Amino acid sequence: MTARRVGRVLAVALLVLVMVGPLYLMLTNAFKSQHDILAVPFGWPSGGFSLKYLTDALTSPDFNVVAAYGVTLLFVVAVNALNLLVVGPASYAIARGGRRYHRAIMLVLLAGLFIPGQTLVIPVIYVLKALGLIGTVPGFLLFETTLTVPTTVFLFVAFVQTVPRELDEAARIDGASRYGTFWRVIFPLMRPVVATAMVLNSIGVWTDFVNPQFILGPQSGVYTVTTGVYAAISRLSTDYTVVYPNMLLATAPVIVFYVFMQKRIIGGLTAGAIKG
Amino acid sequence: MRASKESTARPAASGAAGRSARARARRRATTADIAMMAPPLVLVAGLIIVPIAIAVYLSFTDWNGFTSPPHLIGFRNYVRLTEDSAVRHAAFLTLLITAVGTVACNVLGLGVALLLNRNNRINAFLRVLVFYPYVVGAVILGFLWSSILGTSGAVNAAVGAKHSLPFLSDPTWAVVTVICVIVWSSFGVNVVLYLAGLQTVPDSVIEAAKIDGATPWQTFWRVKLPMLAPTVTVNVVLVVIGLLRVYELILALTAGGPAGETRSFVYNILTSSFDNTQLGYGAAQSVVLMVVIVTVTVAITAARRRSEQAVAA
Repeated sequence: MTARRVGRVLAVALLVLVMVGPLYLMLTNAFKSQHDILAVPFGWPSGGFSLKYLTDALTSPDFNVVAAYGVTLLFVVAVNALNLLVVGPASYAIARGGRRYHRAIMLVLLAGLFIPGQTLVIPVIYVLKALGLIGTVPGFLLFETTLTVPTTVFLFVAFVQTVPRELDEAARIDGASRYGTFWRVIFPLMRPVVATAMVLNSIGVWTDFVNPQFILGPQSGVYTVTTGVYAAISRLSTDYTVVYPNMLLATAPVIVFYVFMQKRIIGGLTAGAIKG
Repeated sequence: MRASKESTARPAASGAAGRSARARARRRATTADIAMMAPPLVLVAGLIIVPIAIAVYLSFTDWNGFTSPPHLIGFRNYVRLTEDSAVRHAAFLTLLITAVGTVACNVLGLGVALLLNRNNRINAFLRVLVFYPYVVGAVILGFLWSSILGTSGAVNAAVGAKHSLPFLSDPTWAVVTVICVIVWSSFGVNVVLYLAGLQTVPDSVIEAAKIDGATPWQTFWRVKLPMLAPTVTVNVVLVVIGLLRVYELILALTAGGPAGETRSFVYNILTSSFDNTQLGYGAAQSVVLMVVIVTVTVAITAARRRSEQAVAA
């Protein structure tokens, strides 16, 4: 029994070490000079800690982290809003309709479930070029929203099917239109499943690299956090006074947000993965 | 909305006038229905289904992204694919990463889930800790590990030049490092999913096994694991799909190096497409990857369904 316990404690200690180690390095080395990072990467710097490198990264003319944050946040909000506007009513119509074409449309909408976005990039560029939307924010948002459709439809349809139809009837007798019924009666009940979808979509958009890099492109001048960090770090990967502060700036807000929202985020992912 | 419900809602309508009113209402309902479903249908058709068709078409052309129209060149891209040593290497590496990674992520995921299964504050904290890589994103994780394991990275700087280890500079080491970092960054998701799965195993069943004298080992293999079968399938499918398309992490960690040794399949697709402007050739590789992913997903799901039916029968 005690041997079991020792094993358990050792396993937990190893786990903590392996998971915390990189965070520790990122946090401490963001405040050290290049010399100290190379001399004492894990320990106390001879030159002491300094905020200089962080402020340098914040005010760097090459890459504006704050602007990238704004852009990425805007993309997250826009994709979530578009997603709800586009998928919400459709899921309601599919869940309530029992006809064969409803099921056919559902299957079409689920088509993208197993198609990796990265393999679609090339032909999507072809389509967006034809529409004159390549390298533009609207083009990017449209494609990013499209990628969220399959999972969201799946989650929403399954949820609406559990909402009693009597509610629709009552709303209609009160004179509500179909859209009115959905937005005012059904949608407010969908809060848990909307939260799940928003968690999955937000993390998807936030961490996305391929689409902002190739659909939006560096020539658009619009950088998200990931494409901006990539542009900033890939050129100067051995100047650790650039690398560590940039990584810290890109990560810290997300980690803080995650710590506060961890129940929602982990719960959302679990619900999404198990139902999807 | 069904026509029958429409008619019960209007008991006053009757006869010919009622019939035409009902027909009108039904038509209106169908129109509203279609209007509601049209927007996502247009998006998915335009930006997923049509592009898949275009990918198939482009894969038979020599399109370079600029000249239009692309020239049809038959199966030449597909033939070239099988002879291209870079593609073959990338395919082999991707399959290796997928095979090793799937086993490692699931064994680690389930193992850590069992370790953290009891509900208390420490375990809640550890759950949050193993999951954080998921919200940070692959590009930044790749850079982070490259600054830890690179030639002048934290570990090598700490052990000194004399004992430095070629984590990312030796081809074999680099492959092992890439796999380890991939597993590190994704097994947290598996932990969380296995924990959710373990919640569904009723305590009464575990108690019953204990009363029957089962050791913890037997309880795991004979009781918990069989009841976790659906969770295992979800985890395996998710990891396999994720690893077959691994790209961002490798891009940031090794940039495909040393000497292209750690280029994955998607890495190659995007390099041939954009750096070498061979979009037709890239499209052919994309089509191959799509077919592989769909086939693997369907195969795993079908195998699971068959084994479930076998248990039920």
